[in-house]
Amino acid sequence: MEMSADDTRVYMDYTASSPVDPRVVEAMMPFFTRKFGNPASFHSFGAEVREPMEEARNKIGQLIGAEDPKREIIFTSGATESSNIAIKGTAYRARGKNHIITTAVEHMSVINITKALMKEGFEVTVIPVDEYAMVDPSAISDAITEKTFLVSLMYANGEVGSIQPIKEIGQITRENKIYLHTDGVAAVGKIPVNVLEDNIDLLSFSSNDIYGPKGTGALYIRKGVSIQGVLQGGGQERGIRSGTEDIPSIVGFGKAVELIQEEMTQENKRIERIRDKMISGILDHIPESYLNGHPTKRLPNNVHVRFSYIEGESLILDLDEKGIACSSGSACAAKTLEPSHVLRACGLPHELVHGSILFTMGRWTKEDDGDRVIEALPPIVKRLRKLSPLTPMELKEA
Amino acid sequence: MAGIYSEKVLDHFRNPRNVGELEDAEDVGIGKVGNPVCLIPETLIHMNSHLNRIEIASTKDRVLTHNGMYHKVIHRTEREYDGDILILKNKFGKVTVTPDHMVLAIKLPKGDKFLRTKHRKELLSAWYHVEDLRKGDIVLYPILKETKDMEFIDIEIRKSKWDFRSKPIPKKIPVSDNFLRLCGYFISEGHPREEPSKTYIEFSLNIKERGIEEDIRRITKNLFNIDIKISEKPKKKTRQVFIYNAVLTRFFKKLFGNYGYTRKLPHFMMLLPPSKQRALLYGLWKGDGYINIERKGARAGYSTTSFELAQQIKMLLLRQGIVASMYTDKAYIKNGVRHRQSYRLHIGQRDSLKKLCNVMGLTYNPKSHASRDSWFDNDYVHIPITGIQRKKYSGNVYNLEVNKDHSFTTEAFCLHNCGDLMWVFIKVDSETDTITDIKFKTFGCGSAIATSSMTTEMAEGMTLDEAMKITRDDVATELDGLPPRKMHCSNLAADALHAAIEDYRAKKEGRPRPEPIDDEGHHSCGV
Repeated sequence: MEMSADDTRVYMDYTASSPVDPRVVEAMMPFFTRKFGNPASFHSFGAEVREPMEEARNKIGQLIGAEDPKREIIFTSGATESSNIAIKGTAYRARGKNHIITTAVEHMSVINITKALMKEGFEVTVIPVDEYAMVDPSAISDAITEKTFLVSLMYANGEVGSIQPIKEIGQITRENKIYLHTDGVAAVGKIPVNVLEDNIDLLSFSSNDIYGPKGTGALYIRKGVSIQGVLQGGGQERGIRSGTEDIPSIVGFGKAVELIQEEMTQENKRIERIRDKMISGILDHIPESYLNGHPTKRLPNNVHVRFSYIEGESLILDLDEKGIACSSGSACAAKTLEPSHVLRACGLPHELVHGSILFTMGRWTKEDDGDRVIEALPPIVKRLRKLSPLTPMELKEA
Repeated sequence: MAGIYSEKVLDHFRNPRNVGELEDAEDVGIGKVGNPVCLIPETLIHMNSHLNRIEIASTKDRVLTHNGMYHKVIHRTEREYDGDILILKNKFGKVTVTPDHMVLAIKLPKGDKFLRTKHRKELLSAWYHVEDLRKGDIVLYPILKETKDMEFIDIEIRKSKWDFRSKPIPKKIPVSDNFLRLCGYFISEGHPREEPSKTYIEFSLNIKERGIEEDIRRITKNLFNIDIKISEKPKKKTRQVFIYNAVLTRFFKKLFGNYGYTRKLPHFMMLLPPSKQRALLYGLWKGDGYINIERKGARAGYSTTSFELAQQIKMLLLRQGIVASMYTDKAYIKNGVRHRQSYRLHIGQRDSLKKLCNVMGLTYNPKSHASRDSWFDNDYVHIPITGIQRKKYSGNVYNLEVNKDHSFTTEAFCLHNCGDLMWVFIKVDSETDTITDIKFKTFGCGSAIATSSMTTEMAEGMTLDEAMKITRDDVATELDGLPPRKMHCSNLAADALHAAIEDYRAKKEGRPRPEPIDDEGHHSCGV
C-alpha cells in the first residue's frame, strides 16, 4: 500500500476493500498497451496473450488444488458472478430436483440468488447457525431430501471470521451425490483451500480480496459437474461464461495468486500474531468486551469485538478521528438501518449487535498498527461509556 | 463514514459540552427520555403464563419477552401523559401506545409487489417506532419457547375428614397424553360441583359425543381406577358424565378454575413440550371447538367465555405453528338464557388448519391454497397490522423495564423500550427563571451525542419559557442538519430538556414529579 510517508493512518478494513499489490500492477501493465491481442485470434497477437492467460489459470487452479485447471477454472467478473453461474447454472440442469440448502450467514449475493430461484419455483432450506456463526454438518445432512441437488455454503464468514467445517460437509454432499458450492471469497488466499480434500464441486472466489485488480474472479467447476451457462454469447470460457476475456485483470489475478503462494504462510503467521495480540489486548484491557465469531476456527485477519453500554457508530467515528479505519456490522453506521444478518443469525439480541466493530487486517498491516488500536480503544470506550447513562457506576470509576 | 455528518455534528460529538449529572436538589430539574413510559392502563401483558394489567405488574412478575422466554420485571414506571397516542390493531387484538414506543416489526417498502409474495419472508425484522409503521406492515409476535417437561403431577389435595365415600386415588399421576386429554375435556365441558356431602365432576356432553364419553371412561378408569356414571336427558339431547370423587374434583378445580369464565391453564401446562400439548389441544377442541373442512371456506374455531383461556390457547396453537384470529362475541340473550361475552379463536388459513387437523387426527387436503397473510419462523409468527388509529389521550401511562431482553408481550404485540437514551439535568435560578447550569448523559450514535450536546449549549442561559420552545428541528438546524434517518431516532435531546423543565416546575409547584426511569435499562439506537 503506497501511502505517503506522512500518512500515519491505520487501515483495518481490508474486507471492505484492499489495495492492489504494486507487483501485480507491474505485471498487468504490458497487457493494456503492448500485448492487446484477443486470445481467440489465430495470429501471433492472439498467442501472445493466450499463454499468459492459461498460465494465470494454471496458477489459480494450483492454489485451490484443482486437478485439471485448464478445464476446471473459469474466469468471471467476480465472486458474485461466479456464484450466480454456480447456483443458477446447476439449478437449470438439476433434472427434476429442485431443492437447495444454504445457511443463514451467507453473503447477500448468495442469499439473493436463492431468493430469485425461489421465485422460479425452487425450494430453499436455510440452515441456522450457532452463536459462533458455525454450521452443524448434521443439520445439513438432516435437511437433505430426494429433491436436493445443491448445498451452497461459505468457506469462511468474512464478517465474524468463523471457518466452516467444509470437509465434513463435503463428505456428506459427496455421499449423497449432491453438489457442494462454496463461496470462498473470505477464505481463498487467506487460508489453505483444497477442493479435492474438501470435496468441493464449485468454488467462487475473486481477485480483489487477494490484492489483485477488482472486477475479476473465478469459478472452479469440478470435472463432471453439469452446468448451464448464464450468459449467451461467443462461447468463451467453455461456453459457460461468454465475453472477451479481460486479459490485464486475468494476468493480474494470476500474479496475485503467485504472490499468495509464495507469501501466504509467512504472511499468515505475522497477521495471526497481530490478530491474537489485538484480541487479547482488547479483551484484557477493556472490561465487558467480547469477541464475536469462533475463538479458534477463525480467519487470521479478523478481529470482531463487541462492547457493552455503547454504540458501534460512535466508536467508529472516534477511531476515525484517531486515524484508524474499521468497519461496523451495526445498524447506525450502515446505509440501511438494518442490523447485520450474520450477528442476528448468531442469536445476538439487537442491542448487542449495535455495540460491535470489525477490524480486518492485510498485507500492509504493521505490527504497531495493532498496538495503536489496542492503545486507542480503551480511552475511546471509556469516553463513550462516560457519556452513556447505561454504564454501571463501578465501570465508570474503574 | 464521517462524511454523512456535518462538521458541527462531528465537533459536538468529539467535544461534547456539558457532560455529566447534577445532584437532585431544590433548584434542579431532571429529564430522562428514550425510555418513555407509554402504555395506557389496563393494557394486558403476558405475565407468568396469564394476562395481567400492566398497572399491577411488579418485580415479582415475569413477563414474556421477544425471545419467547419469561423474564423478571425490574421496574414499572408510571407518569402522566397528554398528547397523541396510537392504536395498533392486528388479528390478535390491539394495543394503545405513545407514538415513540417501539414494536418488533418488518416494514414493507411501499408499492413493492415482490414483497407481497412469499419472498417477504426474507425481510429482516427490527424495532420500529410505532408512528413509522403503516397498515399492512408486518409485526412479529413471539412463540413461547420456554419448555419444561413434567412427568408426574402430585395431587396435593387431602381427603376431608368426613368424606367416607371417595375412593382413594393415586397421590401422583403421570402427565401423559391421556391425562392431558382429560384436562382438555374438563376445561371445555366439565364442571366441578360441590354440594353438601356430594362433590363430583360433571361433564355435559351432546348426545352425539359418545367418543368423548368413552375416552373419559377409559382414562378415569386407567388413571384413577374410578368408574364413571352416566345419565341421559333425551329432551335436551345431552348426556351427563359424572365422576364421583371429591379429591379429584377439588384437584381439577384448583388446576383450572371453577366457572367457565374463570377457566385458565396452570403455568406448568403452558411450558410442557409442544409435542405433549397436542393431547391437551385435542381434548380442548373435542369439547368446545369445531372444525369444518367440508364447507367451501374451511375453518375451525374455539369459543370460550374465559378471555385468559382464549389467550392461552392462542399461545399453545402458536407453538404448534397454528395462527388463530381472535374475536370477541358480545353477550346476548337467547330463549331467556343470558350468554356471557365470549372469546373466539378462528382458524381459516390453510396451513394452520392443516396442522390443526393433524393434531385432531383428521386429514385435510385443501384443493386450493388460499392466500396467507401470516407465516412462522422458529421464533415468531409474522402477522400484518390491520389498522392504525391516532387519538388524543390524557392520563397515566405505564412501561415495564424487563431483565435481559428489555421487551414484553401484550395480547397482540411485542413491545420494546429500546431507543437512544438521554438524560438532561438543569439548574435553575428561581429569581430570573433562567437555566444556570445544564448537564447531559446519552447512549446512542454520533448524532445522538451531538444533539444532546447542542441542546445543552442552546439552552444554557435561556429562561425556562424560551427553552421550552426549542424543538428537535431547531437542534438539527443549529447542527447544520442531520441525515434524514437520524432525524427521528437520535434527536430526542429537546424532549429530554422539556422533561427536565417539567420536572423542575412540578417540584416547585409541589406537584408530584414524574417517576424517574430505572437506569438498568439497556437501549440501542436507530433500528
